[in-house]
Amino acid sequence: MTDLEDFRATVRDWCRAHVPAGWRAAQTGVADDEFVAFQQAWFQELRGAGYAVPHWPAAWGGGLPVPEQAVLYQELAAHDAPRLVLAFVAIHHAASTLLGAGTDEQRRRHLPAILDGEIWCQGFSEPEAGSDLAALRTTARRSGDGYVVNGQKLWASWALHADWCLLLARTDAEAPKRAGISYFLLDMRTPGLDVRPIRQATGDSHFCEMFLDDVTIPALNLVGEENAGWRVAQETLGAERGMTMLELAERLAHGFRWLVAASPLDDPVVQDRLAGFECELAGLRAVCRNFVERADAGRAGPADASIVKLHYSELLQRMTGFGAEVAGMDGQSVLAKPASSGWESGAWVLDFIGSWEWTIPGGTSEIQRTIIGERGLGLPREPAAAS
Amino acid sequence: MSPDELHDELRSVARQVLGKADPDLAQLAALGWLGLEVPAGLDGAGASLAETAVVLEEMGRAATAGPYFATAVLGAGTLGMLVPTPERDDLLRRVANGDCRLSVSLDGESGFVADAAQADRLLVVARDPGGDPFVLSMTAGDAEPRPVLDATRDFARVTVTNVGERWRFTGDPEAAVQRLRDRAAVALACDSLGLSEAMLEATVAYAGVRKQFGRPIGSFQAVKHACADMLVQVTLGRELVRAAVEALVADDPDASVAASMAKAYVCGAAVDIAGKAMQLHGGVGYTWESGVHVYLKRATLNRTWFGSPAEHRRRIAARYPAMAQLSDRSVSFP
Repeated sequence: MTDLEDFRATVRDWCRAHVPAGWRAAQTGVADDEFVAFQQAWFQELRGAGYAVPHWPAAWGGGLPVPEQAVLYQELAAHDAPRLVLAFVAIHHAASTLLGAGTDEQRRRHLPAILDGEIWCQGFSEPEAGSDLAALRTTARRSGDGYVVNGQKLWASWALHADWCLLLARTDAEAPKRAGISYFLLDMRTPGLDVRPIRQATGDSHFCEMFLDDVTIPALNLVGEENAGWRVAQETLGAERGMTMLELAERLAHGFRWLVAASPLDDPVVQDRLAGFECELAGLRAVCRNFVERADAGRAGPADASIVKLHYSELLQRMTGFGAEVAGMDGQSVLAKPASSGWESGAWVLDFIGSWEWTIPGGTSEIQRTIIGERGLGLPREPAAAS
Repeated sequence: MSPDELHDELRSVARQVLGKADPDLAQLAALGWLGLEVPAGLDGAGASLAETAVVLEEMGRAATAGPYFATAVLGAGTLGMLVPTPERDDLLRRVANGDCRLSVSLDGESGFVADAAQADRLLVVARDPGGDPFVLSMTAGDAEPRPVLDATRDFARVTVTNVGERWRFTGDPEAAVQRLRDRAAVALACDSLGLSEAMLEATVAYAGVRKQFGRPIGSFQAVKHACADMLVQVTLGRELVRAAVEALVADDPDASVAASMAKAYVCGAAVDIAGKAMQLHGGVGYTWESGVHVYLKRATLNRTWFGSPAEHRRRIAARYPAMAQLSDRSVSFP
């Protein structure tokens, strides 16, 4: 056996022993606190095996090579393991920001804490700053040893349960809009912070809005230079996109097998649609692996992250839409999906409605196409945006 | 040199040469391309489909016409799968040296056989009375030209009139013929990948300089986003081609599926891409002079030749009943 096959066998054995039996039924329709407890327990199980943060540097508890990471995600998907939904922003976005631009002190303070279960959310979007994120209006005014922040944030996933928040705020109102933004780490227990859930199209409420009223952030929690926040966000989060996609693509590939099982295979039209999806999935998975390896080697292409996000999200939407189509009226009657499941849970109609959570946030598909066109292909910018 | 460096070198030479003119048999031999997959002992390079794939992609990019596909990809590929005989070895040597132009029919008497009218020698896959495939090696005989819209390709109808030599496949002959079909499918996917890249680059270049309403048309989202979709398709297609080539070179048991995936996706996408290229070039793109039609026609032919996307998807889908049984989760899923 090769090392990779050895590793696969090890992960398989681990999954058989550790994936909680019957978790899907048990986690369907649960209250938030039960979901949080389940997520935290599962995170510690994975951590114990060294599988929670395989993409982190070895010095911080990760260090798994990309082919092994892909195998890990394949096996977790194949054994229908719960996903790390709650820790997602912490282990990906927060970690990549701290590793890429944080101070040693910030890393020492937060990376071990994340392994102990610290939850993070992201405070980027605002009511008037969606696709045009750089137009954000939340202000951070320098005051003594810190900043005083005022404004409103939107679409902060799981903010009600978060301990910390990655926050973008304007520190220079006079500078061109991208040049006046700073990147902060915000303690969610700070006074002046009001977090309210937003009910989404699926009926769930994991997205939140945040109101910041004279919220104080110590200067120690600034990431990168003052007014360099836009660049920090671009540099630290772009490469991360590939890492998250490596897992999500493997999950989707496994979801494809459920889609096959749910489909009337005696219909040649159905077969044709399925085979079309499988070709795209095979391409997507290979693209994700290739991108992650390039990013690891410091050779990420300028549009890599946008290409995988765009194609993953739209393929997810088409596949779950097809699932809803073949599931018939029975599919319409599945009213809840298991918390902690993937984006393709088998509750096809809900999965389909929920797929807009991928084509809209994190830069809409339209924004991704603009990025691909401009950064990937070098096409001219729109005159209005060129200023 | 590492394999990657070797491929880069080969690619750079191919782009330069093919950008000027279509090489003839002698030039292809001088470049060493005809013998890429011919064993070193028979005047070849003893390389693999991985190297041939580089040449094919560049030929797609340049919409190259000529004997390479029939002689090297199909011809040398077929000969390489036969039981070695002095006659076979001699023919392989002549192919590597550019002394013999080949044409291959994988379907016996057939209406559309590439280069059949120009070939010196014809290899026809026929079946013995027991149904087992073998190869009939004949001097070129009657071939009735079948002109096609894609002017970069030559086809003729082949009828078997003279009885040539009968050559056997090594190993399971059905598997050998399937592997030849897989090779052909992947070769066309390489070609369609190259022509897609060329069309994307030409469109991006044009959209950057062509001005309407006082600005480059590439600054309009409708144009920019269409180009972005082309890049996504090319990016996915490149990975599918790479996977299929690697699987064929390694003789992977799933190579046939990988070949069908590459053929179905890339040859389908190439028609979308060349079609979008014509659209985004506007009126200029529809002119004969622009040459976009050459690529659109070639892409359309590639999509059909050696199996339409739908036919390849049907082959891919043949695995689904078994997959459905393995993934039946009615037990675990409420």
